[in-house]
Amino acid sequence: MQQNSIRNIVIVGGGTAGWMTAAALSKVVGTQNYSITLVESELIGTVGVGEATIPMITMYNNVLGLDEDEFVRETNATFKLGIEFVDWRRLNHSYFHPFGLYGVDMDGIGFGHHWLRWMKSGGNPDMGIFNAETEAARQRKFMRTPEQKPQTLPKINYAFQFDAILYAAYLRRYAEKRGAVRVEGQVVKVNQNAESGFIESLDLKDGRRVSGDLFVDCSGFRGLLIEETLQAGYEDWSHWLPANRAAAMPCARNGDPIPYTRATAREAGWQWRIPLQHRTGNGYVFSNAFISEEEAMQKLASRLDGAAMAEPRILKFVTGVRKKCWIKNCLAIGLSSGFLEPLESTSIHLSQVAIAKLLTVFPKNGFNQVLVDKFNREMQYEYSSVKDFLIAHYCVTEREDTEFWRYCKHMDIPDSLKTRIELFKTRGEVMAPPAELFKETNWFAVLYGQGIVPNDYHPVADVISEHDLKTRLARIRSGVQDRVNGMTSHQAFIDRHCAARPQTMSV
Amino acid sequence: MSRPIARVVVVGRDAAGWLSAFALQRAFGRTGLAVQMIELPSQLSAVDVYAALPALTNLHRLLGLDENEVVSACSGVYVQGQRFSGWSKAKPAFMHAYDTQGVVINHVDFIQYWVKARAEGLAVDLEDFCLGAAAAKQNRYVLSKDTTEAFSNAAHGMHLNARTYARLLKQCALKTGVVSTAGQIASVNRSGANIQSVVLSDGQIVEGDLFIDASGVEAVLIGAMPEAPFESWRHWFGADRIMVASGKRLSPLPAFSQISAYSNGWIGLYPLQNRTAMKCVYDSSGQSDEKAAEAIGLTTGMRIESEVVVAPLESGARARAWVGNCIAVGEAAVVLEPLDAAYLHVIQLGLSRLIAFFPVEADALIEADAYNADIAAHIRNIRDFQIAHYKLNQRFGDRVWDRARDMNIPESLVYKLNLFAHRGRVALYDHESFEIENWNAILIGHGLMPRTYDPLADALPREEQIGKFKGMLHFIAEEVRTMPSLDAHLEIHAPYRGAGAQ
Amino acid sequence: MNRPLEIVVVGGGTAGWMTAAALAGVLTRQQVSVRLVESDEIGTVGVGEATLPQMKEFNDYVGIIESDMMRKTNASFKLGIEFVDWGYKGSSYIHPFGAHGKPTGSIAFHHQWVRALKAGRNYNIEDFSYAIVAARRNKFEFPASDQTAVNSTYSYAYHFDATLYARFLRDFAEARGARRTEGKVVDVALHPESGDIASIKLQSGESIAGDLFIDCSGFRGLLIGRDPANGYEDWSKWLPCDTALAVPCARASEFAPHTRSTAREAGWQWRIPLQSRTGNGYVFSSAFISEDAAAATLMKNLDGAALGDPRLIRFKSGRRLKSWRGNCLSIGLASGFLEPLESTSIYLVQMAIVNLLKLFPRNPIDPILVAEFNRLVDNEYERVRDFLILHYYANTRDDSEFWKYCRNMDVPESLREKIALFVHRGHIEKYKDGLFAPPSWLSVFLGQGLRPKHYDRLADNMEMGAMFEGLDTMRRSIRERVQAMPDHDAFVRDYCPAADSDRPHAMMGAHA
Repeated sequence: MQQNSIRNIVIVGGGTAGWMTAAALSKVVGTQNYSITLVESELIGTVGVGEATIPMITMYNNVLGLDEDEFVRETNATFKLGIEFVDWRRLNHSYFHPFGLYGVDMDGIGFGHHWLRWMKSGGNPDMGIFNAETEAARQRKFMRTPEQKPQTLPKINYAFQFDAILYAAYLRRYAEKRGAVRVEGQVVKVNQNAESGFIESLDLKDGRRVSGDLFVDCSGFRGLLIEETLQAGYEDWSHWLPANRAAAMPCARNGDPIPYTRATAREAGWQWRIPLQHRTGNGYVFSNAFISEEEAMQKLASRLDGAAMAEPRILKFVTGVRKKCWIKNCLAIGLSSGFLEPLESTSIHLSQVAIAKLLTVFPKNGFNQVLVDKFNREMQYEYSSVKDFLIAHYCVTEREDTEFWRYCKHMDIPDSLKTRIELFKTRGEVMAPPAELFKETNWFAVLYGQGIVPNDYHPVADVISEHDLKTRLARIRSGVQDRVNGMTSHQAFIDRHCAARPQTMSV
Repeated sequence: MSRPIARVVVVGRDAAGWLSAFALQRAFGRTGLAVQMIELPSQLSAVDVYAALPALTNLHRLLGLDENEVVSACSGVYVQGQRFSGWSKAKPAFMHAYDTQGVVINHVDFIQYWVKARAEGLAVDLEDFCLGAAAAKQNRYVLSKDTTEAFSNAAHGMHLNARTYARLLKQCALKTGVVSTAGQIASVNRSGANIQSVVLSDGQIVEGDLFIDASGVEAVLIGAMPEAPFESWRHWFGADRIMVASGKRLSPLPAFSQISAYSNGWIGLYPLQNRTAMKCVYDSSGQSDEKAAEAIGLTTGMRIESEVVVAPLESGARARAWVGNCIAVGEAAVVLEPLDAAYLHVIQLGLSRLIAFFPVEADALIEADAYNADIAAHIRNIRDFQIAHYKLNQRFGDRVWDRARDMNIPESLVYKLNLFAHRGRVALYDHESFEIENWNAILIGHGLMPRTYDPLADALPREEQIGKFKGMLHFIAEEVRTMPSLDAHLEIHAPYRGAGAQ
Repeated sequence: MNRPLEIVVVGGGTAGWMTAAALAGVLTRQQVSVRLVESDEIGTVGVGEATLPQMKEFNDYVGIIESDMMRKTNASFKLGIEFVDWGYKGSSYIHPFGAHGKPTGSIAFHHQWVRALKAGRNYNIEDFSYAIVAARRNKFEFPASDQTAVNSTYSYAYHFDATLYARFLRDFAEARGARRTEGKVVDVALHPESGDIASIKLQSGESIAGDLFIDCSGFRGLLIGRDPANGYEDWSKWLPCDTALAVPCARASEFAPHTRSTAREAGWQWRIPLQSRTGNGYVFSSAFISEDAAAATLMKNLDGAALGDPRLIRFKSGRRLKSWRGNCLSIGLASGFLEPLESTSIYLVQMAIVNLLKLFPRNPIDPILVAEFNRLVDNEYERVRDFLILHYYANTRDDSEFWKYCRNMDVPESLREKIALFVHRGHIEKYKDGLFAPPSWLSVFLGQGLRPKHYDRLADNMEMGAMFEGLDTMRRSIRERVQAMPDHDAFVRDYCPAADSDRPHAMMGAHA
């Protein structure tokens, strides 16, 4: 074990992962006592497929002290209230997976149980009427919840949809302003300590050497340090999540941007639609075992709702996770640590989670194996629980109209997921442990949306009279309506607070 | 030898007919009474609406109807009151809410303190101290709880799709054992004062001990009886035509009916869950039907999106509702403009009093006189309430309205108006359907400001009075904030599921 | 701020002092100045009063404490009036404060009773009135506040010494700013234009001005009677009694919580139990019996030794055409007289005072308020009158000319209709406000021997067996609960013992 104090931090690779790491480090540990160096090459393109995010991003933004309106403006962002899943359960069906909560938990049990009781006795099967984000999304409205004491109406939970390249650039400006140093260059050799195997320095193509104490591998799928150098190993999950390609292309806006992402199930995968202020990002995530790259790109191009603004690009990937994300003095963040398709917009979140964990266990003098193991365990757990949630979208389907869907419907799924689905079918809950990213509301939205109607519900839901139940539901519904009625349109909100400067160039 | 009434024949149509049959069957069916309905052709169109006062809730309860189910089936809406606008060109609209204003303080009615405070510069309206009015204006549904019961008496009226309501009543009536024949009356066999039987156009002869005329303005039975001439009230209610139409559904749903006066009459908007019913009551000598239809659009800002149905209208009442063994219920007995939503209420009155006075001897209908006196008194008071709107209007320069303002009104109303104008006190007679708070609302709303107030109100020190007033307004605002919207309440408790589901 | 309204009350006694006490108790000195003129020389009628439950509300309104009042007025509790020999000789019924039984939905209880009767089960209606059962057993306690309890279905009133009551009110009123002036009114000065009273002149020469004059001078109607246009509506053809002889006697050991009215040859005799003695009186028609014969009957029918000679009071049933004219308002006997058969005198005073307070005027007095006052008061008087007439009219006695006369009177149409509807189908009208409520009419109708021929058909909806069961249960639960009640005597001694129960009482005078 090295006993020297950690001083020099080297980040390999730019893009969102690299610059998020650099920005966070530059804010939290600063460049007085540390040096933060990021090595990237403009020659190596960054992926940037038009990102959608989840509300947890505000925690990261707050750590950095970002002004939200400025951030939105600089990244051509729009707001996101949730994801609309079209044709996943069956063709011509859609459901909405919102942020926020359905209704209000009452009498010690989740709202879902009360709602199930009401729905089973003839109530409206559309659960979205009890969720302000869903109703706002349906009406194309958005507004940040004004400060109000007491807060009597439901809060609006939201995230962002932004241009990933602009995001990286924005964070680069932030990090550089705080003393992070960018080194333009390609790494050609990684130098390790002969005995310990710790990484000591990187040799760049132009001959420069960059030394460091702590290395962060943000080099993307190849995992230059974590895999190519330190041989972490990769756990392959493609048998559960067969998609292994993504075709991405931007197109022109079609009217005002809607405040949500759309994921439409397709013949051999699914297509995303992410509206930004200046254009719409689109992509087809597919498995090349069920459709060729040519055909996928053609299909994507034919299904845009605006004029194409670039040729489609293909990304190749393998769904899975690094067996170890932190080895010796090197940790992987971003695509180098693992990949899960952007079905639930988790990519950036997983990077930010890793950054947060890094900061929590930030090493002082040398590396503590206990902390490293903890980091690895927790990152495994994060990826794994997200994986199960994503698989649920595929395996719980009524579709059997293509080979791909027949595969998905009948594939073997992890036991952990099997148990959850059974429990939900039996009594409308999944009992997700608190450490997991996706909570009861999320599981309920997706499992119910995908077609599982629970047979029963928690008995405590039957305690109050039907009249009292309806009275409570009417109040909750009223709160949702009042909140949404008081909201402006999404576009009007953007115009008022955070309209991006007009773009002359588009990516 | 006395014998009980064995058989009642209801000759009627629509809500009046079916409520009569249903109510009598439910009250006395198990005591050996046979109720036979002769269903005359309906006079309801698809656009008709029944606007009901809160008392209808009691009738529904007695009939064993689940109100939310009725509202749900009839695309109905609960309302906290009626909003009157345009009755004075200078003053703003006012809300006639079905609720009290303020609370009694030291044995003195709240309105007295309010009149005094107004004279001292208070700018708050009387209706602002009414929980029901505040809820109505914010389109809320009032849920009564312990905290509000001490302060407020808020109750709900209803709007119901007329045809669906009539059909629902019919189904319920038939299910409880009413026997029904569809037909028309060809002739009536009378013996002395009593009807022995009626003869239908298909030749059927229907006998009965008691006959209910619920045939509406047609008054097929009572209309032919010289003992019950129709006394026209045209000198008080000049409108002679009524137009009904439909516009699109309002969102969010208003929790009140809107009654707008215009140059030649008035227009009512009655929100329902799937449309907004419109009524125009007007003087045909002042404008054609086409112009009246235009007036609907101009006055309400809403487009007519349906057929337009027009019918003649003549307000008035029969000298007697009960002649011999024939009792007229509803418009066969009294015809009123729908200004105060009393249409169903008049039917309910006729039936509830009939049940209370249901004859115990088929051959000695002694109850008739008491019934007639009771009903006549009730009707007089409702009529006076309605006349008050017209008498107090301040639409200067409109022929119809100037005439209304100048008309001679019944002594009973003169007395009421004088006492109120002097002192803000409502003189209630026996058999009133509207309470003090209703009279307060419309008299103050129309601008009849009392000249003086009860000197006993002076005993409350000014600071305390201001404190109490503030407390009431705060209480109302807080309570209304916790109430669900009318939309949400209906969605959960009484959602309209479309024309097919009944 | 207006100056206080100057009110001059002419006459003491219950009417005068109730008025003064109410005005002084409810209004502030900024609002009103109350002056009462009475003469010790002029006796007050004070015949030992019985009251109605409305008195409680009045006390609460004015600020009078019940136990305090009862202690100072030798008072006892009253659950109703027992009418002996009224329907026929040997009959006895009680008109209670409280309902008979419980209604079923909208159907009044007595229809069940009639239905049972026609089915052969002859229940005694009195068994279903909690107040009656308690009264007959001389029990008393306050009604329960829990509306579901069987002992919550009644209310109560008081018996008290009217003179002591007037004294009590006087103390109460004077403590709150009312001023008493000793003196006799000999003249009245009017405003020349309006005809309103400007001032009254006393025998002493003193002149008292005022804004509103309240005439509580009794039968004489010193002020209200001056206006020839405001005549007296004579009701003596329906209520023929015109004289009363009153005498107190020693208390019986039994202490009944009710008044008794016993029909006599030419009228009726009252018996009002107070803590230290009993008040008695014979109300009769001088056309049908001489004063001496009446006195003899009275003295022969006391249940304790007489405590003095009988006092004579003459009266005429009827009332002023207008209780309130201009700025002169009459309350009490000055406004009208209805014999105390149903203890309505004090109630009518209270009713007038409450209406005055509701319509309290400023100066100058608006005729609109006066008209509304008269409308409300007239209504009450007529209804009470009809109720009293019923007692006389509906009798089956043929043992004296008096009762034959009563049975053949041409009664008001309004009463005739009420009786017809009751006899035909047991119908009793319910008023929105004011006396008398349906239970009162019911007890007198039935007590006087009228029986409905039919009952409300709605009562047939209940299965007969279930109905009998309900009636039996109700009867039993009333009986059981009454059994557990304390005795009236013990209750009063505990709650409101009179200051000196053994003090011999000054004779009740007679205010004219």
